[in-house]
Amino acid sequence: MTFRTLVARSLRFHWRAHVGVVLGAAVATAVLVGALVVGDSVRYSLREMALSRIGRTEIAMASGDRFFRASLADRVAKELGAPAAAVLQLRGTAVREDGEARINEVQVLGVDEAFWAMASAKPPLPAGARNAVAINEQVARRLELKVGDGLVLRFQKPTALPLDVPLAGEDASVGAHLTVGAIISDAQFGRFSLAANQAPPANVFVPRDWLEQQVNQAGRANLLLVSDDQTHRRAGSEQAPDAAAPPLAAAAADAVLARDAWSIDDAELELRPLPAQNAVELRSRRIFIDRAVSQTPSVRAPGNLGILTYFVNELRVSDRAAPYSVVSALGPIASGEGTAALPLQTLTAGMADDEIVINAWLAEDLAAKPGDTLEMAYYAMAPGGRLETRSAKFRVRAVVPLDGPVADRDLMPDFPGLSDVENCRDWKPGIPISSRKIRPKDEEYWKRYRGTPKAFITLAAGQKMWANRFGDLTAMRFPASDSPARAQALAESLRHEINPASLGLYFQDVRGRALAASSSAVDFGQLFLGLSMFLVAAALILTGLLFGLTIGARAEETGTLLALGLAPKYVRRLYLAEGAILALAGGALGTLAGLAYTWVMLLALSTVWSSAVGSSNVLFHAQALSVIGGAAAGFVVALATIWLCVRRQARAPARELLASGAEAELRLTLPRRARTWIGWSMTAASGVVAGLLLSLAKGATGEAAAGVFFGIGALLLIGLLGACHSGLAGLAQPPRGGQVRFADLGLRNAARRRGRSLGVIAILACGIFMVVAVGANRRGAEEDADKPSSGTGGFALYGETAMPVFKDLNSPEGRKAYALPDDFQHNAAFVALRVHAGDDASCLNLNRTQQPRLVGVRPQLLAQRGAFTLTAQEAADAGQSPWLLLDRREADGAIPAIADTNTITWSLGKKLGDTVAYTDERGRTFQVRLVAAIDNSILQGSLVIAEDALIEKYPSDGGYRMFLIDASRDRAEEIARVLSVQLSDVGLAVMPATERLAEFNSVENTYLAIFQALGGLGLILGSVGLGVIVFRNVMERRSELALMRAVGFSRRSIARLILTEHWVLLALGLVVGWLAAIVAVLPAMRAGPVPYLSLGITAAAVLAAGLLWTWLAARLALRGPLLEALRNE
Amino acid sequence: MAEPGPILELENVTKRYDAPAGGGDVPPVLAGISLTLRAGESLAIVGPSGSGKSTLLNIMGTLDRPTSGRVLLDGQDLAALGDEALAAIRNRRIGFVFQLHHLLPQCTALENVLVPTLAGAATAPAGEMQDRAQQLLERVGLGERLAYRPGQLSGGERQRVAVARALINRPALLLADEPTGSLDRAASEHLASLLAELNREQGVTLVVVTHSTALAAKMARGLELRDGSLRPHEEQPA
Repeated sequence: MTFRTLVARSLRFHWRAHVGVVLGAAVATAVLVGALVVGDSVRYSLREMALSRIGRTEIAMASGDRFFRASLADRVAKELGAPAAAVLQLRGTAVREDGEARINEVQVLGVDEAFWAMASAKPPLPAGARNAVAINEQVARRLELKVGDGLVLRFQKPTALPLDVPLAGEDASVGAHLTVGAIISDAQFGRFSLAANQAPPANVFVPRDWLEQQVNQAGRANLLLVSDDQTHRRAGSEQAPDAAAPPLAAAAADAVLARDAWSIDDAELELRPLPAQNAVELRSRRIFIDRAVSQTPSVRAPGNLGILTYFVNELRVSDRAAPYSVVSALGPIASGEGTAALPLQTLTAGMADDEIVINAWLAEDLAAKPGDTLEMAYYAMAPGGRLETRSAKFRVRAVVPLDGPVADRDLMPDFPGLSDVENCRDWKPGIPISSRKIRPKDEEYWKRYRGTPKAFITLAAGQKMWANRFGDLTAMRFPASDSPARAQALAESLRHEINPASLGLYFQDVRGRALAASSSAVDFGQLFLGLSMFLVAAALILTGLLFGLTIGARAEETGTLLALGLAPKYVRRLYLAEGAILALAGGALGTLAGLAYTWVMLLALSTVWSSAVGSSNVLFHAQALSVIGGAAAGFVVALATIWLCVRRQARAPARELLASGAEAELRLTLPRRARTWIGWSMTAASGVVAGLLLSLAKGATGEAAAGVFFGIGALLLIGLLGACHSGLAGLAQPPRGGQVRFADLGLRNAARRRGRSLGVIAILACGIFMVVAVGANRRGAEEDADKPSSGTGGFALYGETAMPVFKDLNSPEGRKAYALPDDFQHNAAFVALRVHAGDDASCLNLNRTQQPRLVGVRPQLLAQRGAFTLTAQEAADAGQSPWLLLDRREADGAIPAIADTNTITWSLGKKLGDTVAYTDERGRTFQVRLVAAIDNSILQGSLVIAEDALIEKYPSDGGYRMFLIDASRDRAEEIARVLSVQLSDVGLAVMPATERLAEFNSVENTYLAIFQALGGLGLILGSVGLGVIVFRNVMERRSELALMRAVGFSRRSIARLILTEHWVLLALGLVVGWLAAIVAVLPAMRAGPVPYLSLGITAAAVLAAGLLWTWLAARLALRGPLLEALRNE
Repeated sequence: MAEPGPILELENVTKRYDAPAGGGDVPPVLAGISLTLRAGESLAIVGPSGSGKSTLLNIMGTLDRPTSGRVLLDGQDLAALGDEALAAIRNRRIGFVFQLHHLLPQCTALENVLVPTLAGAATAPAGEMQDRAQQLLERVGLGERLAYRPGQLSGGERQRVAVARALINRPALLLADEPTGSLDRAASEHLASLLAELNREQGVTLVVVTHSTALAAKMARGLELRDGSLRPHEEQPA
């Protein structure tokens, strides 16, 4: 006989009683393991998704609207010794052939074999397949397409300039009717995207050469992918294989790009010899020459000529006017002495900035002579995408003949819609042209001289009027006697002087960012742990109750062991060992069950709770560490619970234990008044502290509110349970006068085992508290969505376009451009926002966002309306809207930004005052500082900055892609419909603002639903616990009940007695839980009303379940001849 | 041969219970009892129900403490000892037989006899204790029932297992509280004889609290507890 034998014998003998304990521990363990494995699965799935979307890509150069030569990929591959692929990536829309289904935003990817090699996949389309596209599963699903079906793909033709810049040409999108040649899976690179989001992108893959032709970008690309293929690198470099070769770093690739791989052609710069003029000219396909280029030593060398040519609306001298003319501003780029080697340089040399030289044709047309005042009208861009006519006055300095260097049609850059047009009537320069004004002589001039400037001003005067964010020169000329040789030499020196990063040609660490975004994503393990806490607690309370009951029932055994001289410590160790084995068994069983539970949770996450994971498919993945950790945690908490039960065992004297069995575990002496007093004072103290918290908590938000909520809730629960404890103790007192009423008997029984009774009350109260509190926190549709202060900002509709809108939709031209009905003038108002693409930082994205999307707004527009409710880091000036903080200049140069509270807290993991680093279009890092937070709004997911700041940092992000639309409620639906149709070419997706808010809220509501569901499971366990306790109570008292039968009580009245006694517990549990929840929820109460009905139903369901269990247990325990129990005594 | 020294001495032992709330003064259960027991002695304590027999036995067996007075076991004052030390003394020096056998239902007869050896203060190696348990069970006539569980034994057999268990650690003092109280007449007689024989064979001091005159008659000495005091039992044969 040993300690171990005794433990083993006890386990075997009491196995029936222990099943419940093992199951309780198993439930707790299963929930813990499950939560951790859910976390693993989400993390693993995000990682897998991240890797499948980038394939083998390590670094990438995404140059946006800058198109480098596709052959750069080959040079980069050679220099880096790593495979590279050039991709032409455009935004577009896809519509099913029958027009019944559309996707407003698709990635159109012009790719070649090198791209597919990045995914180790075969090209899905046969070489030379025309009009066939490969689509990913997302597109196939959303458009319900299969191989062989037709679709219409529409994409924006890249323009030299963003279309909101004057003279950028006309909006031109290309539509193509194509056939689905292949549907490619995620594994085949179907998910390709550089954005960190678990939602699969809609991708359409077309041959790159085909796409190049469609958009006039022959041999060009705007995305360069480089993989880090070690084997390839070794083979290419012929070096000894280096097992520890460092991973491909973006910075190293940038250096290689700058030193060896790139040429100025990759920056769309062109140097062309002009032998007739003894000059070399530098032009850009982007019309304006980037300042990064015009600041280089080679360009700024003395003797070079800077040219800024513009298309003006009118040149007028008194009442005579010439419409639509080209004017060139000429002058040295750098101030200082230089030899005027070029004839044109003398034209404006020594001229004042308010002087103009005109050619003979214009002089004749305007009857102008030197000394006359010439008025020039031209278009410039006003904020908000509006064109504005401005004018300037000049004094005619000289008239020059239209020949020689003056007759130089190359002075005009290749303005889209002008340079390639035969007739003036076909002009489409992107500014309003009135063809009525064009006279036959103008046509004649165009035919003969094309864009030959009619007038010349100084470079300074021109730059003052026409310089824009893209540059202040349209060309520059370098004197050269041997122009071809000079061109070559210049190309080489410019290549060295320009940092390609300043022209948007730089690499990003795509893999690093993807892995960082997925690894630091929302931790679902922790989330589920948090949400499951109540369930775990309920399981543990049940475990403890059951184990306590079992040990309690063995009081006689305890007494025997003590009487035989075994020390109380020894006896407790004996029970603890027994409990440890049960906990271990529960842990093992729970671990297995936990894996099954995970599976069920994942099933729920892919169906009813899919909002929580952004509708992504979560794959089961269990890490050994999580499983072991969960199992160990389950074992430890179960053991701790058992220890708490055992701790109190073997304290009663052996003789009492032997004499009265289980009853001895009770205090045989009646509770003193003092003990009751302790309970009541606990209630009072908790109440006072909770009241204080409640009054202090007014206005608390976010985590503070949550803290207050749980603090008050916990205090109230403790206080009310204290009251129950005292109340039960009071019930245990014999009634005054010594009269015993039948109803009192039940109540006194409930008070008999106060520990058990309190356990039941606590478990039910906690469950009710959770379910009620969480239910009250659900966000409903906002009642006051019309108010500007609400989450919709008072806007009725929210729209986003795939392609930018350049016209002001509030203006007649804007309405005309999209054929919007005239009544829109009164019925719809637009606040247009610029968008710089970035990560979606809303709660719909599970990844930890690295660089959220930037949205540019004119702060005044939102400030005027008092849109949204903002919390500023520091108070704005008196009466000033926090929106105006966006216009402020920060001392350290950071750009002020406003973002949704959820975005700041959860997606970014930041707080007000923190900064987020961005890289601007020219490869320079800048900081964005969070200065204010918006409370739960439709702007979730982006950082809002001032429009001017956005343009400054990202000049190429032209046009507006986000719209907040004002419309009266009754017209909103119709306006949305009209807009979707009329703006379908730019891929407008418009929805009621309340719906967008609801989309975000649905994520939070789903979390709450999970919480409620798990809380509900806990409640079920709680009511099972109640049932078990009823059963045990009755079984232990069978002889007592038999006695009652013997003295004449009917079976029914005994049943009533048992039910009364336990319903009291049930009712107390419900009341305590409800009271605590209702009071605690008050400060955190959201805008919507408390859903009393559904909460009432929940409570009723719990009550019903509790009653059912009680009734069943009582019935089961009273079954059979009760009087037998007396004989067994 | 000199008279053996005292095993247990009670000096002026009093035991008083608290009155229920509102109740008046309650007379003490034990009112200054003094008693000396020597090695090998056997004593029967009789008395009416509620006279405090079991209380007295519990105080002798360290299961209860007196309100006043001294209890000395092997000359050692028990009042100074803590619960752990008392448990150890109970384990090594005292054997108990209760009215209800209080066997562990999960263990066999043999294992039940061995339970007291678990306290860690075993006087002999495990194998030896096992042999002794077996011998004791054979001695009480249960040599064939070693592997039986309490549920498979009759009332008398269970009580004999309890007697064997009480003797496993070779106690100096064997206390039996109504050992025949729940047995039929034949089993009672058997057990009474067994206890008397064991008292002689093992040299253990035996104190029996009983209502049974037959059992009391088998003891060398008899005392009656009445009104809190011990007096010689009148029915005791000379």
